[in-house]
Amino acid sequence: MKRWLNRGALEATLFFVALGILWEYAVRAGDIKAYLLPAPSDILSEMWRSRTALLEHGWVTLQEVLSGFAFAFVFSPILAVMIFFVPVLRRTLYPLMIALQSIPKVGLAPIVVVWFGYGLSSKVLMAFLFAFFPLLIAALGGLKATPEHLVEHFRALRASFWQTLVQLRLPSAMPAFIDGCKVAMPLAVIGAVVGEFIGSYEGLGNLVMVASGSANSSLTFAALIAVTLLSLVLFWIIEVLGRLVWWQAR
Amino acid sequence: MNGSAAISLAGVTKRFGGDDGVLALDRVSMDVADAEFVSVIGPSGCGKSTLLRVIAGLIPYDSGDANLLDRPIDGPSSAVGVVFQKANLLPWRTVERNLRLAVDIRGTAGADLDARLAGMLGMLGLKGFASRYPHELSGGMQQRVAIGQALMANPRVLLMDEPFGALDALTRDRLNVELLHVWQAARKTVVLVTHSIPEAIFLSDRVIVMSARPGKIVEELKIDLPRPRDPSTTRTLPQFGEYVVHLFDLMGVNASE
Repeated sequence: MKRWLNRGALEATLFFVALGILWEYAVRAGDIKAYLLPAPSDILSEMWRSRTALLEHGWVTLQEVLSGFAFAFVFSPILAVMIFFVPVLRRTLYPLMIALQSIPKVGLAPIVVVWFGYGLSSKVLMAFLFAFFPLLIAALGGLKATPEHLVEHFRALRASFWQTLVQLRLPSAMPAFIDGCKVAMPLAVIGAVVGEFIGSYEGLGNLVMVASGSANSSLTFAALIAVTLLSLVLFWIIEVLGRLVWWQAR
Repeated sequence: MNGSAAISLAGVTKRFGGDDGVLALDRVSMDVADAEFVSVIGPSGCGKSTLLRVIAGLIPYDSGDANLLDRPIDGPSSAVGVVFQKANLLPWRTVERNLRLAVDIRGTAGADLDARLAGMLGMLGLKGFASRYPHELSGGMQQRVAIGQALMANPRVLLMDEPFGALDALTRDRLNVELLHVWQAARKTVVLVTHSIPEAIFLSDRVIVMSARPGKIVEELKIDLPRPRDPSTTRTLPQFGEYVVHLFDLMGVNASE
């Protein structure tokens, strides 16, 4: 049990509690209007009051994020392998990917919503677009990072292309790819929420828009905190799953 | 050409980087007999690693004839096991699964694989380390696993490029002795690239000395020391000292050129 009382956790807890108290005090003492900046106590009670709505909207956003991320998780390594091994694709597809990556994807959201409507699919596509490029770059970097002496060793063993790919290149790329997932997952959340901002019937981003439209700042903050928690939990899950890939190819 | 030669090179030339590039191998000719232990020494940059890679079929040569087991070398051969200075171990495979890597890749795992793995672990002094990962092992143990992996594929020819180069002197001596045990038991043809003169003399039937730029063979020295060899007795033999002095002279002369 002593583990839970370690110094780092204690310091962090004290810091955040102190920050909350300071915030609460500043709002009350400064007589700040609730629609400008609600007090932490107001936000917390709003979260409790709206817990059903937060969970329902959160569930929608979670589905969008996970679907978009899953597509990116599956397709980015496939594309990375193709770009890595096929020179003509490296000269054509790769520059296209870089160009697409340079488009501000927030600006794509209105078009995506026009194309795919207010429902789930446009948000899945937004989450996918945000998550895909970091994963592609990470997968490519991982493939390139395969140590040359091991590649030569596989050549000496007369390993086939697929043997080298599956037994050497892909495991070597895993650490970089997992790091890419840690970047891509929060981005997928942002993508989905941005999509919800532009046009949606439900989701936490929708809740933020509706709440701020009716000047309900407590609910706006509550929804934002829910988005943050969702993002943190997803990141933490990747962190834990990523520990299965403990090696660094050297 | 000697019919029983495991390796036979005649006038092999290899140039890196175009016509005016570095002449890494200049008309190198050498034969290695079946079950012979040959070391190649020379200053760094003399092309001894290039020579080994040509024999391994890992890099093409420009001209000359290169034969391995009476067949022209045109790529890596499954009759060859290669060990490099950097232990070629996959960090995500355990010791046991690293040992069977070559067997897995070539699909030559037989019914007796488990027994052979256990025997190899014992011979390498790695009993009890079967399920450890490479990063949990010392450098010497990693290199033993790498050698074991090559041996598991049961190659007729073992090519080694500075396999003990990164190890401390004590570990190196011990692995030298173990290597001799393995070689005597299995009677492989061995070509060892090293920069250690005493190591080359201690292990070999024959030492080939190369010079740098252009990389060519300047001498072949037959080592007439009784076998089995032992670090404490072999190295105190007067001939051992004579060989050492001779090779140091030879390499010292080349270095001052």
